[in-house]
Amino acid sequence: MRLAVVVQITGTLVRLFAPALVAPAAVAALYGERRDAIGCLVAFLTAALLGTLMRRAGGPAASDLEQIRRIDGMAIVAATWMLIGHLGAIPYVWAGLDPIDALFESMSGFTTTGATVFTDFTAFGRGIFFWRALTQWVGGLGVVALVVAVLPRLAIGGRELFFAEAAGPTDEKLTPQLRQTAIALWRLYIALTVAEVVALMLAGMSLFDAVCHAFTTMAAGGFSPHPQSIAGYGSAAIDWIVTVFMFAAGANFAVQYRAARGSRVALVQDEEFRAYAAIVAVASAAVFVFLVRDGLGVGDALRHGTFQVVSILTTTGYASVDFQLWSDQAKILLLLLMFIGGCAGSAAGGPKVVRHVLMARLTLRELRRTLHPRSVLPVKLGGRVVPEPILRDVQVFMLFYLLAFAVGTAVVVALGADLVTGITASIACLGNIGPGFNAVGPMASFAELHPLSKIVLTLEMWIGRLEVMTVLVFLRLEPWRTARWSAA
Amino acid sequence: MRVVIVGGGEIGFALSQMLAPQHEVFVVDHAPEVAGRFETLDVQFVTGSATNPDVLAQAGIAGAEVLVACTGLDEVNIVACAIARGLGSPQAYCFVSREEFLELHDQQGLAPFGIDRVIWPEAQLAADIERIICAPGALDAETFAEGAIRLVEYRLDPGSTLADRRIAELHLPHGCLVVAVRRGDSFFIPRGASELAVGDRVVVMGTPDALREVARRVTTTTIDGTRQRVTIIGGGDVGLRIAEALEESDAADVTVIERSPERGELVAGRLRRSLVLNGDGTDLELLQAEDIGRSDVLVSVIDNDERNLFASLLGRQLGVRRIITRVSKRANLRLFERVGIDVAISARTAAVASVLHQIQGGATRLLALVEQGAGRILELEVPAGYPTRPLRELAPPLNSIVGAVVRGSAAIVPRGTDRIQAGDRLIVFTTYEAADRVRNYFTSVNA
Repeated sequence: MRLAVVVQITGTLVRLFAPALVAPAAVAALYGERRDAIGCLVAFLTAALLGTLMRRAGGPAASDLEQIRRIDGMAIVAATWMLIGHLGAIPYVWAGLDPIDALFESMSGFTTTGATVFTDFTAFGRGIFFWRALTQWVGGLGVVALVVAVLPRLAIGGRELFFAEAAGPTDEKLTPQLRQTAIALWRLYIALTVAEVVALMLAGMSLFDAVCHAFTTMAAGGFSPHPQSIAGYGSAAIDWIVTVFMFAAGANFAVQYRAARGSRVALVQDEEFRAYAAIVAVASAAVFVFLVRDGLGVGDALRHGTFQVVSILTTTGYASVDFQLWSDQAKILLLLLMFIGGCAGSAAGGPKVVRHVLMARLTLRELRRTLHPRSVLPVKLGGRVVPEPILRDVQVFMLFYLLAFAVGTAVVVALGADLVTGITASIACLGNIGPGFNAVGPMASFAELHPLSKIVLTLEMWIGRLEVMTVLVFLRLEPWRTARWSAA
Repeated sequence: MRVVIVGGGEIGFALSQMLAPQHEVFVVDHAPEVAGRFETLDVQFVTGSATNPDVLAQAGIAGAEVLVACTGLDEVNIVACAIARGLGSPQAYCFVSREEFLELHDQQGLAPFGIDRVIWPEAQLAADIERIICAPGALDAETFAEGAIRLVEYRLDPGSTLADRRIAELHLPHGCLVVAVRRGDSFFIPRGASELAVGDRVVVMGTPDALREVARRVTTTTIDGTRQRVTIIGGGDVGLRIAEALEESDAADVTVIERSPERGELVAGRLRRSLVLNGDGTDLELLQAEDIGRSDVLVSVIDNDERNLFASLLGRQLGVRRIITRVSKRANLRLFERVGIDVAISARTAAVASVLHQIQGGATRLLALVEQGAGRILELEVPAGYPTRPLRELAPPLNSIVGAVVRGSAAIVPRGTDRIQAGDRLIVFTTYEAADRVRNYFTSVNA
């Protein structure tokens, strides 16, 4: 690890991110909220100054991007996300939030978790709500993906960064050039967002609410400017529109891009997408049955059942109804979905469907190997053999993921939460989902948890978004011991 | 006729051996040490690269009618054919060993090089073996006329209802014909009065329906309905192709045993359901642990005769019902069958025979070989202007029999009273010795 390079490039990324803070300042100014406008501008200046100083500190020699090593890339991505999480918290602190809560809220935004500590929604202006939605929108596709798209220089050595941040075990490029891939993904992302804004407005939502919801739907985030989330609008049309766009946000953008580009069979051919669609169908049907049995009408059961299944599976975390009040039979299904997540290469969090598909095949393979000890049993995906190193990565990922979940649960429960709250708060943050059950249910907030719990959960969001290994590798001493300021 | 053979390997030698007595043969090979082997033959050996036009000119390419490229390198074969065509050879036959070239040829992709025919011995072998596997109990199986006519060879086991009776008394179903019998070393075309005996290998030709009825009477075990268990030893080109074909037709549960771990990974990656085992086909413990003895068919297609034989004998020992083994050296064929291998089959024999026939056969086509070439199946077209007459007036040469008549898209197994007419295609079964006479039959009738 060469610290000069890490500091220099992290600084570059932070400085490039800074202008994003001008947008909420403008919105706050538009609605005449002086306090929030100033808060956002302070955050902007801080970020710009910090970024510039870091670039200076790294020195020009460190800008040699072609020599970014794997460990440097991981350090840059991990540090950038942590720093941006802190800088993004400044507007909340300015608006009067406790610093730990502000960091929680900010990290929850950038990692597209959607868990909130807001209890009194009237205490904040529209600028803050816009900022909350914007953090998710930027975080959905990724900070590095954004920067690579606008800064060609970074694309040369940016490969390590890009894939350290991207979701899922695949390193698929749509085009030979990384920058074009990033631009293509952003175009699709923006197109879907615009489509949702239009659809929501046609369904009767105001422009401001439609924009905020489109930002947080496409990012699979889940923040809503409405204290009761989507349930607050009480509209079946809005519920179904949001369901459709959540489903798109949880599917692989690269595959959707190819489908949109005329390859109609791309979606059907993609094995992960088929599994994803099947999970949605089966889980929705099961929840529907439980809800009808619990006395809900057929139409409502279908609407809320499907909405909630898609919302939890894609790790968005919206609520079209207070599912805390559902029976345990329906809730256990939602809890299981929390451990699955969306597709690789999507905005969704969680361990991803493709890893579960591979884990299932690995399990079947070991069963078959017991019967035939000498057999050669490759694991295939989409007709192609998956290389063994990737399979090992998947198993290691799942192991560490569950480990992180267990540690988080233990801390939250030890600090006073009940068991269900602890379990669901931990997975909801690690999987970047948002709401859990009981004290952290869809209509409740994380504000009442112990401050230390909130710090641990904030770290879980960060670890979950960066897919565990990018962060946990720094638990080993080796990267630190070999760290030098510069190569020379 | 002048024939230029490029490549002095096994195939080149076998071709030279067969062609030298009647034709002017030139053999081109870049390795001088190969020349010694050809000294016993009446051929002209030219040392040099076949992709060098001067060398080909030296081999008399200008006056040659056929060039056969059969070196071990596909690219060399293709280039040699292209150059030869440029230098005036009217026909070029090209041996290949990789799938892509055969596919390319099917899509006319090799036409610009002037290649008329592409021969891939291993693919032919794999297709032959797959057909035999799919005919339960059979030792050989062929199909003709788009599947309307089939040929199957069986062995009469002790207790068979067909043994010790005259053929005329068997009351075989209509639409099938016993065309040949092999008993020990003798191979003959039987008459109605001929008696069958236990241990005979009987070749039957007929329509699929009729042959299904025959199969029911010949094989003692029930075959319909249950999937066969097939074990393939050796995951090379041939083994992989057989396994792929069996998966494609969903005809059997396949186990492939491959010794090399890397090759095993590749084979397992290409196959969908088959079980691939990493191990040696001659490892008795492995065969026992995997219960190979319960297989219906064991196919041993390693590229090594000794190991093939050993693996096959182990399979026999464990109780596999039918064993099909690849043989590379022609001399070993008979030996293999004598020690108990049901089907010994060679890639080169079929390939060499088909090239020879095309060079010499004129208007007839060689459809298949039976019993390693002792029997041959030819297709003859009845020439225009030939008077329509009943089959029994045809009086074909000794040791040949008309197995089927194909008219348009219909095919029948004829009786003596059936008439044949100009334009019919006759599928004739003949022995090796009578093949020349059969080939010239219609030409001589007209003369």
